Amino acid sequence: MAIPPELATANLADVAPGTHLCAFYDSDEQLARIASAFVARGLAAGDRLLYVATDDDAATSMLSSLLGEHPSCHALSNGQLQIQAFGDVYGDVHTGDFAPIEAGFRAAAEQTRKSGFPGLRVAAEMGDFARFLGSCEEVLRWEQRSTAIQRELGVSSVCQYDLRYLEGDDAARVAAEHAALSPDRDDPPMATFLAVGEPWGLKVAGEVDIANRDALIRAIRSRAGVSPRVHLDLTELTFTDVGTLSRLHSLAAALPHDGHLVLRRPPDLLRRILAITGLWHQRMVVEP
Amino acid sequence: MTRTALATHTALVYGGEDQFVSSVGAYLAEGVARDERVLAVVPRVKLERLRDELGADAQRVDFVDARDGYRPQWNVFRAVLNSLAEAPDRRLRVVAEQDLAVRSAAEIRDYQRLEAMVNVVFRDHPLTLLCPYDAHGLSSELFDISRQTHSDVMDATGCRPNEQFADPAAILLGLSAVTAAPANAVSLRADGPADVSTARRFVRDHAARAGLDADKIDDLVLAVTEVLTNALTHGRPPRSLHLYDGGATWVCHVHDSGAGPGDPFTGFAPPAVPSDHGYGLWLARQLCDAVDVGSDATGTHVLLHARIAR
Repeated sequence: MAIPPELATANLADVAPGTHLCAFYDSDEQLARIASAFVARGLAAGDRLLYVATDDDAATSMLSSLLGEHPSCHALSNGQLQIQAFGDVYGDVHTGDFAPIEAGFRAAAEQTRKSGFPGLRVAAEMGDFARFLGSCEEVLRWEQRSTAIQRELGVSSVCQYDLRYLEGDDAARVAAEHAALSPDRDDPPMATFLAVGEPWGLKVAGEVDIANRDALIRAIRSRAGVSPRVHLDLTELTFTDVGTLSRLHSLAAALPHDGHLVLRRPPDLLRRILAITGLWHQRMVVEP
Repeated sequence: MTRTALATHTALVYGGEDQFVSSVGAYLAEGVARDERVLAVVPRVKLERLRDELGADAQRVDFVDARDGYRPQWNVFRAVLNSLAEAPDRRLRVVAEQDLAVRSAAEIRDYQRLEAMVNVVFRDHPLTLLCPYDAHGLSSELFDISRQTHSDVMDATGCRPNEQFADPAAILLGLSAVTAAPANAVSLRADGPADVSTARRFVRDHAARAGLDADKIDDLVLAVTEVLTNALTHGRPPRSLHLYDGGATWVCHVHDSGAGPGDPFTGFAPPAVPSDHGYGLWLARQLCDAVDVGSDATGTHVLLHARIAR
């Protein structure tokens, strides 16, 4: 079974919201690598990750072990990473009516916003989807519909196909309905913005500058949309520039009067920039 | 209280420490008598004698060792701006002198810009500023700087308007000549946002090899980030970072192919009200020993200097 060579491999750092990716695997190890790259990158951006598994127990153990020592190891317990069984998500598809899955998609996107995440990313194991839908043609029809919905909702996804279930030129036809291949490896991101439930906010680790500050601001805004009292744990922030700090200042200034943005344990560098620029604000609290 | 907003900027060329103490002492005492806020940024060796001269008045003067106040030179602008902001309705009287003999050529260029920009940045502030110059060993270059940049001059006979005062914009223009990075520079192309973090590692590695200490490297890394971010945001490709030994200073030289800031007075003060933009060059000047900004046919050059201890 050949994967179509003309389909490019995406760089996960540059994947825009709403991008519909696919991946093909023929072993559990390969699936784990693909899933882990996609999931880790999404969690790092502060997005919610929905993992749709053919076997949710197996998926839970796979993702738990891959998160293990990872900074996002709390993602499962705080709701940033959710695992659902394939049948629960796609249960009604065999009727040929996509409306219920579409509605489920929209509800998940809406719930993502309400839960304080800037975006939703979905990684789905497509295992026996073809058998479920009846034919490859039905799969292709759903993939086309999905591309449109995802673009509309800004939901990125990777559809992970088990090559052992695909016949003839099915892989090529399936691949053609996707923007690019999702890679089975990824460079570590410059910074991670992981959701924290208590105190409400984010844990920011790594370096923030012109390359990723928009993503950070987007993640903070999503947290502030749920509660305007947002804590940023900056213990592991290793660099920030003044452009980032001035954006944090603007964000704090725009919070309601009972809101605040707490910068917890910032590096000396951030305090130095504050002193030089005078970008203090009563709702931007530096502690300790 | 009436507020006389116009700033004055006076040069005093004194002969010997006795004249320094009596002239500067009288100047500070006058401020105390007028209930002004009074700040003296002078070399440590002169602080004690000034305190003795002022007697009880010394308690109403804020003394700062010039080594701290001028580290780096543009820090003195921040100190004065902060003092003015603390009490906007009271006149602030400042005496500011540093030991210029230890300054490199790049720092003297920046010193000239600093003296010129006092007349722009503080023009509408209630500031009375006196800059004492020691006639002993005063180079003709420094004497010329003192004559071009002060609205008034003071000597033993009194204070009078300075006929040789020059337009600050013209002084800056005269200092804007730039030279391309030398052939032995190590260079990095930086045309995308992701290149800024690469540039930081590049500066860190080479600055350590050049023998800069850790704090200075941290400051340079931030300054390079800011100037490169400006080049990415406002400049044009190709953009490059060149690192080299410039003699008395180690230089991080950012070049882009754009026209540069249209306003020659950019980045000598922070934005007046909090803003999402406009801090980069101000921050760089607060972090480096000297900053040159200039343009030529190839584009815009910003040189960030770090003094090398030899």
